[in-house]
Amino acid sequence: MKMKKVLAAILGATMTLSLAACSSGTSESETSSSDDSKSKDTKLTVAIWDSNQEAGLKEIMNDFTESTGVKVDIQVTPWRDYWTMLEAATQGGEMPDVFWMHSDQISSYAQYDDILLNLSDKIENSDKIDLANYPENLVSIYQNEKGDQLAVPKDIDTCAVWYNKKMFDEAGIEYPTVDWTWDDFREIAKKLTNPEKNQYGTAIKPGSYQESWYSTIYAYGGEVISEDKKKSGFDNPKTIEAMQLIENVIKDGSMPEYSVVAENNTEELMMAGTVAMTFQGSWMIPDLASSDFIKENCDIAPLPKGPNGTKSISNGLGWAASAQGDHTEEAWQLIEYLGSKEAQQKQAELGVTMAAYEGVSDAWKNSHPEFNMQAYLDMLNDAQAYPSSKNTQVWYQVLMERMVDSFSGAKPMDQVCKDFAAEMNQFLAEEQ
Amino acid sequence: MNNKKRKKYINRKRKEFAWGCLFILPTMTGLIILNIIPIFQTIYQSFFKTGAFGRGNIFVGLTNYKRLILDGAVWQALLNTIKYAIAEVPISIAIALVIAVLLNEKMQGRSIYRAIYFLPMVVAPAAVSMVWKWLFNTEFGLLNHLLESIGLKSVAWISNPAIAIYSIAAVGIWSVIGYNMVLFLAGLQEIPRDYYEAAQIDGANSVQQFFNITVPLISPTMFFVVVTRIIASMQIFDSIFMMIDTSSPALKKTQSLVYLFYRYAFVENNKGYGSAIVTLLLGVIMIITIFQMVIQKKWVHYN
Amino acid sequence: MKRNEKILKSMKHVVLILGAVIMLVPFAWMILTAFKTNSEAMQINPFVIFPKEWRTEAFVNVWNKMNFIRLYANTLIMIVIRILCAVLTATMAGYAFGRLKFRGRDFWFALILFQMMVPGQIFIIPQYLMVGKVGMLNTMFSLVFPGLVTAFGTFLMRQAYMGLPKDLEDAATLDGCNIGQTFLYVMMPLTKSSMVALGIFTALFGYKELMWPLIANTEQSTMPLSAALAKIQGQYGSNFPELMAASMIACIPMIVLYLFFQKQFIEGIATSGGKL
Repeated sequence: MKMKKVLAAILGATMTLSLAACSSGTSESETSSSDDSKSKDTKLTVAIWDSNQEAGLKEIMNDFTESTGVKVDIQVTPWRDYWTMLEAATQGGEMPDVFWMHSDQISSYAQYDDILLNLSDKIENSDKIDLANYPENLVSIYQNEKGDQLAVPKDIDTCAVWYNKKMFDEAGIEYPTVDWTWDDFREIAKKLTNPEKNQYGTAIKPGSYQESWYSTIYAYGGEVISEDKKKSGFDNPKTIEAMQLIENVIKDGSMPEYSVVAENNTEELMMAGTVAMTFQGSWMIPDLASSDFIKENCDIAPLPKGPNGTKSISNGLGWAASAQGDHTEEAWQLIEYLGSKEAQQKQAELGVTMAAYEGVSDAWKNSHPEFNMQAYLDMLNDAQAYPSSKNTQVWYQVLMERMVDSFSGAKPMDQVCKDFAAEMNQFLAEEQ
Repeated sequence: MNNKKRKKYINRKRKEFAWGCLFILPTMTGLIILNIIPIFQTIYQSFFKTGAFGRGNIFVGLTNYKRLILDGAVWQALLNTIKYAIAEVPISIAIALVIAVLLNEKMQGRSIYRAIYFLPMVVAPAAVSMVWKWLFNTEFGLLNHLLESIGLKSVAWISNPAIAIYSIAAVGIWSVIGYNMVLFLAGLQEIPRDYYEAAQIDGANSVQQFFNITVPLISPTMFFVVVTRIIASMQIFDSIFMMIDTSSPALKKTQSLVYLFYRYAFVENNKGYGSAIVTLLLGVIMIITIFQMVIQKKWVHYN
Repeated sequence: MKRNEKILKSMKHVVLILGAVIMLVPFAWMILTAFKTNSEAMQINPFVIFPKEWRTEAFVNVWNKMNFIRLYANTLIMIVIRILCAVLTATMAGYAFGRLKFRGRDFWFALILFQMMVPGQIFIIPQYLMVGKVGMLNTMFSLVFPGLVTAFGTFLMRQAYMGLPKDLEDAATLDGCNIGQTFLYVMMPLTKSSMVALGIFTALFGYKELMWPLIANTEQSTMPLSAALAKIQGQYGSNFPELMAASMIACIPMIVLYLFFQKQFIEGIATSGGKL
């Protein structure tokens, strides 16, 4: 407290200067004396991390501004820095009014009552939002231990395979169907590989876990983390079996050298015509669909099957609001609107993402009729909830590091998995 | 008479004290708030297990340091940092000194050369790193294309754990040559011309002149450059952060102490452990600096 | 002898030109890539050096994605405020340390030297918590905060004042100037070149700083260029033409400034180290 005063006194002049210079569009600079209702002057800041969705969301927000007069400013911060940003903002009491929440992070925010706006009562009294309209597992992700609802589901995502039709044709291989298995995938990847032409079957990175190898793990009946979130699944023989399939694909030479995989995004390798098949989440569609190369050559197939069927890791973001802001009422109005059938439908129609609101995602399919979007919708039936724990970041960082060892061929996969399981169990024990 | 003088002297002394304090007040206040207190706070914090959002901090004594001692990644990071410094500092200094000597006389295009060599200094490191990351790209990069076009095999510059740290050091060298060169040029200007003339009469060739006159006489500048560059290179972060992705197989062999500090303090929100790491860095830099102060007497020649 | 000299001279130029080419290649590649399409940039059979068509698409795209005007303004405001504060405080303190004798001087100066030896990252967490506590993260204030005073600058200015002759001061005192007047009218004007040097140093340092804005200024509205570049890379992955275009947009103003004020830049840097 003392520090605060000293700071203010010594550096007061600079502060005034900098305040004057900064018209960052936060609430304090919005004190114009309009005689309309208060909400007319309000500007909500909204934080998201995916720039692919910015344009579509802007359009939806514009509808909101038109009907309520509340202005909205969308801020995109890339995933890599998003949580650093939000943590900083939380600590400094400068959170954005409305923002995306992710299942990795919700528990850390939900452990305090004064960070996220409690939406339970508001939802109760709302005629626009009924939580029964959203997938149950998605709704429950965003509850705290007391059962308070802290975010409204925004979307749902699944994963599928994008493949280069031309390369399949040239190799005389039939396009993948619903019945293909992970073993088929391995064989096809091998056949599509031709290092002389600098063409490879596929590219999987440790970082594309959600799209690819987490799916493999569950398709083989393994798990990343136990149901009670107390134990790692990486020492489960089925998990190891699944990961060894990935290892075999690498050993077959069906992927470019690991340095190439590490230095480039998989979608970019696909666009460069270097790889024939990549795993992509439904959130990547705006990016992929804007590429001429992809439009000309590629299409979508469902994920391969394993002994345990097809499993697509499915996650969904939530819209959460700050409990500390000056505009919590308007923030709730925005969330209420974004969760409404109308806005969810529009989100799907614009092709932003699949809607969390059940039954409106067919509209999403038609946003890109040139691709087999149905594959993503079908995956909803094979959805596997995104594995997370209270402090996912901590073990996730280490998992990525360890997986780099096996993906690059430095260490055998089974050893990496077993070693990591021990490490992860320790982290999970610390979480309790 | 004597008394009067004395009074005047005391008066002057008092005034100097008042003015002196007034003049250093803004700097010292700022310095204490911005730097001195934070040093102790960071050390203090390194004894805590910190919760998210700055809440729920628990005193844990030396736990963070115990973890640090057992954490292989930290020692690897220290080794990476030292490797970087050992590659960057001497090479950048040697190249810069040679260029400075070549440029230290009237010649055509002197100012153009100087401007070009200095250019990287005025470019944001984030941009420099992106450009080099692109040049280094294994598959699509210019460097590997050039190698292949003369029949050599391509190199995974920033993905091969064995060489990535040196690729980053190369970027560091490229970036800092101009800075070192300018400092050396300023130092060279202070060496009297007649030293060289005398040496020429004695029949010393230019290589002999370089080692017998230039190097000893420029040693004070050299000392400054060495000290500041070592301290700076021990804090390498920007280029690693920008060039090495988390999926890079070279990450473990390139991440520096400051990179680890950033990751723990601001990505994983473990500010206590982050503080312990940066305290270790403080210790290392202190030791290096003291060591340099001690050995400077052996090789630095002040006139 | 004459011939030898000539050969030596041209050898010199060969070495210098070779070096200059190495220094310039990254810039050239940045420019060439920025004018390509993504598929041209990622084509290897055949490898494309010059774009088939000089496209400005990448520039338009990143310009629309990021509010560069805002980023320029943020960077400029930060640099200007930092220069003003740093030069003002360091000049005053430098004079006191260099020319005045008073009790405690050596202690305070030792503190300055100590700060210069300490790695800057050790300040970051507490500085961040401080700014957070007063609710000023993501403002211009947080952007300039760590650069308000400068130990290095104080040291630099002290060296400048120590190099001035004593009789100037004595003459001023005889003329009836007090210490403040002596400083303001007699001594300070003589250190102009060091002040310029410090200004340039402060500007470059502020412009290049990355970690602090990465954590303290995460919103585009108050972010400087350096952090914005990191953000673009995080966001648009490996679309290299766009990354190169963004780098160009971010770097050109400083490069232009440098080309115009080359002498001041280079002398400034020389002063910052040469007088030690």
